[in-house]
Amino acid sequence: MDKILAKKDFPEWLKKLKAYRVYAPRKQDDVWNYEPVSGPDNVQLADVMTAVPAKKIVFPQREYFFEFRETDDNGTKLTELLPEDNPVVVFGVRPCEGKAVTLTDKVFSGEFEDPYYWKRRNATTLVGLACVNPPSPNCFCTSVNGSPHSKEGLDILLTDLGETFYAEALTKKGEKLIHEGQKLFKDPKPEDKKKAEKIQVEAEKKVRRKLNRIENVPLKLKGMFDSPLWDEESMSCIRCGICTYLCPTCHCFDMNDEVETTTPLQGKRVRTWDTCQFPDFTMHSSGHNPRPEKSSRLRQRINHKFQYFVEIWQNYQCTGCGRCISLCPVGIDIIKVVEKVRDYGS
Amino acid sequence: MGHNVYLPKLARIVEIKEEVSGVRPIKTFRTNFLDGDGFLYRCGQCAMLSVFGRGEVMISISSSPLVKDYLQFSVLKMGRVTSALHDMEVGGVLGIRGPYGNSFPLDEWKGKNIIFAGGGIGLAPMWGLVHMTLGNKKDYGDLTLIYGSRTSKDIVFKEELEELKKRMPVHLSIDVPEPGWSEFVGFVAQNVLDKKLSPHNAIAITCGPPIMIKTVIKALKDLKFEDEQIYTTVENKMKCGIGKCGRCNIGRHYVCKDGPVYSWAELKKLPQEY
Repeated sequence: MDKILAKKDFPEWLKKLKAYRVYAPRKQDDVWNYEPVSGPDNVQLADVMTAVPAKKIVFPQREYFFEFRETDDNGTKLTELLPEDNPVVVFGVRPCEGKAVTLTDKVFSGEFEDPYYWKRRNATTLVGLACVNPPSPNCFCTSVNGSPHSKEGLDILLTDLGETFYAEALTKKGEKLIHEGQKLFKDPKPEDKKKAEKIQVEAEKKVRRKLNRIENVPLKLKGMFDSPLWDEESMSCIRCGICTYLCPTCHCFDMNDEVETTTPLQGKRVRTWDTCQFPDFTMHSSGHNPRPEKSSRLRQRINHKFQYFVEIWQNYQCTGCGRCISLCPVGIDIIKVVEKVRDYGS
Repeated sequence: MGHNVYLPKLARIVEIKEEVSGVRPIKTFRTNFLDGDGFLYRCGQCAMLSVFGRGEVMISISSSPLVKDYLQFSVLKMGRVTSALHDMEVGGVLGIRGPYGNSFPLDEWKGKNIIFAGGGIGLAPMWGLVHMTLGNKKDYGDLTLIYGSRTSKDIVFKEELEELKKRMPVHLSIDVPEPGWSEFVGFVAQNVLDKKLSPHNAIAITCGPPIMIKTVIKALKDLKFEDEQIYTTVENKMKCGIGKCGRCNIGRHYVCKDGPVYSWAELKKLPQEY
């Protein structure tokens, strides 16, 4: 279902979404992030890359699993703390983030379906905004099977035509959201569609950074486990974990018990993001650590994204948002590292 | 949406046995689920144990699936959760999730001679298997157990091992000589070589500390065992147990879900990162 929405009517649409908790990019202290929207006039949809990706809406940095409580009869009571299923809508989602959500979808599905992730995921409508100009100087979506107007994982894709948005509903959830603002949406004219397509094609050309010819990288990595490259490339790493915490596809987490009272024992089990870049991530309680060096952890990150994930899910675990490049405090550049893997020995 | 995969079932500790005391204590816990149900599991599988307030730890199930009265875990006191577990008493309530992981391919081993080579707490992941094969002895050839510990005080399942000697060959060893010790002195790998085990129609399973596993595999290779005849179990740090939290992987394999049981032929092909 394709529609046209005048930009001046956008706040009116938001006013009609009373049943939803609405998130959109907001700038605070010079940093953009997806934040709850305070009023319908406060949403600016522009080509910006938030620091924290939209994954935080469906996979928050911290969430409770259940409460445990000691009972009088030497027993224990567990209370499941599933998220509420109030509908959420996120505006301004970058196409690379929509694609990333399709990857976390895979991880949290299967034999052991993750109820916390899916409760949030099913309640969330993702309204993507096609990139007219690359929102980051390090965007490289077109090199990892993506594009500035990719529809994967999104419920609606908006394309900025100047005075209007070209709105494509991609799922039932997306159609419902457009239905909420029905009269504001008009049927597009053929020239609107042409204009949207032209903008999209031009946007692809504006993605400047490239990671070309990586088809053989998954195979190549198999033979490079003991390469000195990992030492060289990880030398400057200060193991801050930003590359993974702020990656829209990274899903590693920790689980811990937080005790509120000890007599009687009461507390909660909590899940928090974790990262393969921390030395204690894989450390056994005996002190043995399969990945004790920075080099082994960078190797894990690159291998996971460009070999292991590909073998399991037939997709790179990278959608080219460029956050890990832009936000790395020491300038480790995943494009350059993967290029070195590609060119290694040749 | 079905059952919440992160929510443990509650179980009560019905029996605790102190296997080994001292600085590396081992205790065996027998548990019953509060709801009376259990879960069906296969030899080699593990379960996530919760000590509420301390967290979770992945532990191999040391009872055999033939036992219906309890679920048994034998635990070396090592980190935060295993230490808290050692402080628990009979009547205490644990959480249990599982069973997780693959299992020993018992169907493929029918008719074969089976050799168990364990060290320290490494007997626990094989203990259910020993009893399972012994309980179905007509399905297998000769069963042989080789087990070593640092000292005679570090032997787990001590009385059961004495009982076991009446039903199958059991070769024990300790690392250094002790007065009154009449069996082998030396490492498990040396004992394996000493007993000149035959690879003919045999499967060898080895569990224990990493260095022991490496040396036993080398000994088995010296005795002309093929890679496909050698099995081991791998352990890694785990949190979720269901292949999502990302820390126990060896290459594309998540040990929690795709392991812990590997043949040496399979394990050799994976990155050497465990």
